[in-house]
Amino acid sequence: MKPGENPFGDLLQDYIVECLPLAEQVGDAFVELERRWRDGEPGEDLLASVKGRLHTIKGNSGMMGLTPARDVAHALEDACGFLGRAPESRGEGAAALLVAGGGLLVDLIGTASPDADGGPASDFVERVRKYLGLAPGAAAESDRRQGERRSRPRAGDGGAASNVVRIDFRRLDALLEVLGEGLIQHSALVDVYRRLMRRMGACEELGELDQAVLSLQKTLTRLESTLMETRLLPVSTVFGRFPRMVRDVAHAEGKKVRLEVTGGDTSLDKAVLDRLSEPLLHLLSNAVAHGLELPEDRVKAGKPPEGLLRLQAAAVSGRVAIRVSDDGRGLDEAAIRAKAEALGMDTRAADTAQLHGLVFVAGLSTADRVTTLSGRGMGLDVAADVIHALGGTIEVESRPGKGTAFTLSLPVTLAIVRSLIVEVDRERFAVPLSHVAETVRAEPEAIRQINNQGVTQWRGDLIHVADAGAVLGTREPSGAQRPFYVVMTAGAKRRGLLVDRLIGHQDIVVKGLDPALGRPAVVSGTTILGDGQVACILDVVRILDGAAHAN
Amino acid sequence: MPTDERMVDPLLGFADALPAAAAADARGPAPMLHLLTFALDREEFGIPVTQVREVIRVNGITRVPQVPAHVRGVTNLRGRILAIVEIRTRLGLTEAVVTPASRIVVVEVRGRALGLLVDRVSQVTKVPAESVAPPPEEVVTAETDFLTGVARWDSRLIMLLDLDKVLLVN
Repeated sequence: MKPGENPFGDLLQDYIVECLPLAEQVGDAFVELERRWRDGEPGEDLLASVKGRLHTIKGNSGMMGLTPARDVAHALEDACGFLGRAPESRGEGAAALLVAGGGLLVDLIGTASPDADGGPASDFVERVRKYLGLAPGAAAESDRRQGERRSRPRAGDGGAASNVVRIDFRRLDALLEVLGEGLIQHSALVDVYRRLMRRMGACEELGELDQAVLSLQKTLTRLESTLMETRLLPVSTVFGRFPRMVRDVAHAEGKKVRLEVTGGDTSLDKAVLDRLSEPLLHLLSNAVAHGLELPEDRVKAGKPPEGLLRLQAAAVSGRVAIRVSDDGRGLDEAAIRAKAEALGMDTRAADTAQLHGLVFVAGLSTADRVTTLSGRGMGLDVAADVIHALGGTIEVESRPGKGTAFTLSLPVTLAIVRSLIVEVDRERFAVPLSHVAETVRAEPEAIRQINNQGVTQWRGDLIHVADAGAVLGTREPSGAQRPFYVVMTAGAKRRGLLVDRLIGHQDIVVKGLDPALGRPAVVSGTTILGDGQVACILDVVRILDGAAHAN
Repeated sequence: MPTDERMVDPLLGFADALPAAAAADARGPAPMLHLLTFALDREEFGIPVTQVREVIRVNGITRVPQVPAHVRGVTNLRGRILAIVEIRTRLGLTEAVVTPASRIVVVEVRGRALGLLVDRVSQVTKVPAESVAPPPEEVVTAETDFLTGVARWDSRLIMLLDLDKVLLVN
């Protein structure tokens, strides 16, 4: 530990890392219990499943001196124990108490601090005490449980975890850097091999060298895939907090919602997952607040009073697809049209798909009122920006009266990105392939100048074609027409970029930008190419945004 | 976190280190400053060796679009990306022309490395602390703002750079 650091810093971090997911699982179980009890199901298994987790949380919180969290966990343990033996007490009131406690526990652990305000915690403990005091047969609870607990070792997830090691994510980043160096050194070897081959011609030793370099490449590829796997986390680590949040929005909005989550074991790089949680949360709360109708309206429309909200994840051809869908009223095309026209857009010629696409445009959220949760977060336009910045896409489908579905497609990782390397005025740049639609030979007569901007016909549409030297401010612009253009896409935006050479496809290890470089708008990072030289990675999303603003 | 804060933070650390180094030197009988000296045009500049991590040859500097004016670009330092500061333009001189004598002085400020592109590097020089005077007032150029003092020693004139000010963005 470095001097001046909080001596509890690391421990506290470990505590949060271990206990927060447990608390979130407990909270989710309570939300699910609420639903089951409403449907008259017993939910014994869920009650049993939370006990071990609560016990672990209680013990760890006590050890960290976090009394409020310890007391809340303890009170919930008592309440669950009682409800486990008193099926007749299970119901709405009991569920509300548990859900409130679960949420409180997550908050207390998330903001873990020994000096946290204990007010809400002691209020809750008092509430449970009253509840148990009023309920018949609750008095004997505490003593009996005491005996049970001593005879039982620590329960929950800890027992089966002997093969699991917790690693600081930064160490995985460091390993990735070492791998990156290995990949660069491999490219250097290949280069030497080629030069030797040219100078000496084929011989036995060179054949052996070729074989050795090839096996090295195979080893590095295996190392890369193994390392990437260690960086992957199941999406359930982020999905875990959604059921409770959906429930809260539904309560605030007077909606009835059932959230169905599938594909929670689909894996994504932690770096992608971390940035995905906000946009997903927005899509979900948006669906509850604006997509799903009030129970009485649903019944009138011939639907069950409870709305169905689906969150699905699946691995699809090397990428991860995530879908948020509801069976609500669908997008209000008339409202979108009205808002768009109020912003000065001409929507007369727009078809349904184009109209729907407008929900991702800033200022076009169709909600007329700001709700507590969905109105607080990002807008759909910001959510879409985050997805695009991750190299992903987002699409919306909607049918009036049937529902709305948002489909996201995301790269599994951001750390290694398959890219197209291009050359512009003797400088090389990497363009992430997820943003490349096509590379085209630029026939001079195919590009016309309109208002000082190059325009060409591409797949039946007119698109702008910009000179990469101008966009990137190269130092020695050649002035001549460049022979190729790369069609870059982000969401619905597309634009051609004229370049001198297409060097090839390559997996590149993404390196960040030094703070001394400021925040260049057209570059998202750097990478080291096979010859040891650095190349900049183009920030296609922001280049296309800039193009949109310039128009 | 805003970029500027990240930039300022380590530099403030450097400013703290200077008086401390001076105090340590003052304890000995003949306090000496250990300087790495380098040339920009015909002038000799010095920075404390404690701030220098290493000196490397120039092996390709990649320009990065839209960076602040005094940033020359980035280079590959054993698999890490090192930002290169064009210290000449920062001091009001013309942009550096890379020659075989050019070097990159890698300075470290609170754990963060930055490269200074210089025309030539001399060896480490020991200079008595008492030979250092404040920057002469008659030399009023852009440079004087970036100097902590001037050392006159052994018929040399070494300008002591205030890395804090030189590396501070704007």
